Amino acid sequence: MDFDFSDEQEQLRDAVRKWVDKAYDFERRRAIVAAGGFDRAAYGEMAELGLTGLFVSEAHGGMGMGPNEAMVTLEELGRGIVLEPLAQTLIASATLQTHAPTALQAAWLSRMAEGTALVVLAHQERGARYQLQRCTTQATQSGGQWTLTGNKSLVAAGDQADAFIVPAMVNGSGGQASPEMGLFLVERNASGVRTQAYGTQDGSRAAEVAMNAAPGQLITLNGLSALEEAVDIGMACACAEAVGVMDKTLAITVEYMNTRKQFGVNIASFQALRHRVADMKMQLELGRSMSYYATLKLHAPAPERRRALARAKYQLGTSMRFIGQQAVQLHGGIAVTDEYIVSHYFKKLTQLDMTFGDTLHQLGEVSARMQDTAGVFA
Amino acid sequence: MDLAFTPEELAFRDEIRTWVKDNLPADIAHKVHNAMRLTRDDMQRWAKILGKKGWLGWGWPTQFGGPGWGAVQKHLFEEECALAGAPRVVPFGPVMVAPVIMAFGNAEQQKRFLPGIASGEVWWSQGYSEPGAGSDLASLKTRAERVGDKYIVNGQKTWTTLGQYGEWIFCLVRTSNEGKPQTGISFLLIDMKSPGITVRPIKLLDGECEVNEVWFDNVEVPAENLVGEENKGWNYAKHLLAHERTNIADVNRAKRELERLKRIAKTEGVYDDLRFRDEIAKLEVDIVALEMLVLRVLSAEKSGKNSLDIAGLLKIRGSEIQQRYAELMMQAAGPFSLPSIFEAMDAGWQGNFPGGVLANAPLAGNYFNMRKTTIYGGSNEVQRNIVAQTVLG
Repeated sequence: MDFDFSDEQEQLRDAVRKWVDKAYDFERRRAIVAAGGFDRAAYGEMAELGLTGLFVSEAHGGMGMGPNEAMVTLEELGRGIVLEPLAQTLIASATLQTHAPTALQAAWLSRMAEGTALVVLAHQERGARYQLQRCTTQATQSGGQWTLTGNKSLVAAGDQADAFIVPAMVNGSGGQASPEMGLFLVERNASGVRTQAYGTQDGSRAAEVAMNAAPGQLITLNGLSALEEAVDIGMACACAEAVGVMDKTLAITVEYMNTRKQFGVNIASFQALRHRVADMKMQLELGRSMSYYATLKLHAPAPERRRALARAKYQLGTSMRFIGQQAVQLHGGIAVTDEYIVSHYFKKLTQLDMTFGDTLHQLGEVSARMQDTAGVFA
Repeated sequence: MDLAFTPEELAFRDEIRTWVKDNLPADIAHKVHNAMRLTRDDMQRWAKILGKKGWLGWGWPTQFGGPGWGAVQKHLFEEECALAGAPRVVPFGPVMVAPVIMAFGNAEQQKRFLPGIASGEVWWSQGYSEPGAGSDLASLKTRAERVGDKYIVNGQKTWTTLGQYGEWIFCLVRTSNEGKPQTGISFLLIDMKSPGITVRPIKLLDGECEVNEVWFDNVEVPAENLVGEENKGWNYAKHLLAHERTNIADVNRAKRELERLKRIAKTEGVYDDLRFRDEIAKLEVDIVALEMLVLRVLSAEKSGKNSLDIAGLLKIRGSEIQQRYAELMMQAAGPFSLPSIFEAMDAGWQGNFPGGVLANAPLAGNYFNMRKTTIYGGSNEVQRNIVAQTVLG
């Protein structure tokens, strides 16, 4: 039991923080939002730091690191509310590396590591909410070639990505349980693929992706459990990112309270406000604790892992909602302007709650998975 | 970063688990698992069993006869005891006054008082709060006047937990009115058999007498019972707070009580009611998150790398969770928590009525009792002030 970071992890944290502070300031971020919410150049800078290859083995030109390093990185990206979806790269590279045939790995992993190829998860459909087994996209095989037909929603940077990881039903029995789902890689430029992009509330970019007999390459026929793994990685990433966003949100709020004067004194002197800050600190530290928990449970057996990730994401969702709302209230009117930075942190916190399952969904998961005993180790 | 305990820590835990299983009397564990009334004898029987093994002062260093365990070992010991259904050790002797005597008492006092605490022979009480000094403890007025080789003590203490059993009491008393209120306080050890002491139990809202008023009327206390220096008592009391560490969160007991809540909910037929079940699920997450917070503190203590100054958070969260499980247990039983039957909390009570057993009668009482947790030990509002100070300056 040890929650200290190694020297290498601290160095990684410093490197990412330096890049965020120096190269990704609020003005640059604002310009990226105005230009659509995704910047290839910024993504390339993350690649130069090695972040896009964090999970990619050294044999494929990556850093061969694990969940702890991902957590450190995402906390720092969260502090800067960076728009480019590194979590998607981590999910995609882990999924390919664990489940894809070697030829598919060879074709994509090194390019993903160097940042020249962006691969994202395209799993959400209208009406599926957060239920991973609800999938109507169909995959059919003919003459050794798979083709996919169906629509995916809210695909991160969907019109910028080079390829998608797509769950689809392989035997025509949509909506059924696990054995029938496959996971496929579909290239955005493939025939039959159409994307329609838009900005999302946090300033980043997403797209609807339509596939009409689009050619795909099989990653695995054990699709549901692979998708669950992928989403659990995404949940751990969202938790870590949330910690960074919350940490910075609280810091901004504290700084503001110690400079803003009303009734002739700093508003930080008012007890009614101080107690809100104490409660924010509580939610931050509970959230940080559960983010550690999420990351450290990623390698646990599936039932234990799924239960742990649901618990963690429920806590982080609760913490994010509270800290976001309190930060706005403590700032007063300035916080509901677009000009001031805290509104952007608030929107990011709100969107992260709904990323890979919101609090209500996660509560249902925790509730359904409860056992007689409970604790960190059960 | 690693969630798992080391092989050595796991071996230690197994050793404790086996010992507790072999030595915790079954009748006591039964009472604890079912939240029945514990007698003085129950509490002291367990204390003496621990004392004989040398574990009643489980946080003590070896030089005073303790096991010299580190932070993780202490936590594992507390967890094994709690999950097995051991009563909470009455903390006033081994956890509260002993560390002060070790740090600030003289060799004579250490020799005189520590063995009786370590063995569980002597029952200690705490004399801090007064009718006019609750959250503002430093405003306490109980006076100790030095006359020759004695102190003459006059005043009143209150909320003295289990003081009706107390044989000795450690008190914060006023020895000076000069300067700030904190600077005129001394730490005095008082024999409760001394003439002039009156103990009156206070009946609480659940019908139990858990706390007491203690009056001092010209009580003579030998000057040799002063710990450390006169007027430095406030500092010693603060040292004691630093010793409270993580057990203030009481997360191990919360894990045990969560299991009990699930049992009650199943018996009462509300476990499969999703509205109720979701409330249990929320509590489960709260408890896991608190446990992670506690483990982070232990990890920081173990490595000495990062200091985690979050005792206030642990107190707030731990006490809220205690109240929550008590509330949910009551709600699970619903109207069957309402019969107010004093004997229902005694082991062996046969609560058979024409309509069946009224086994959940004590649950409302427990809910009422647990309202204390956010008040005592520094109210949660005072804790929020402390937390806010660390964040906002």
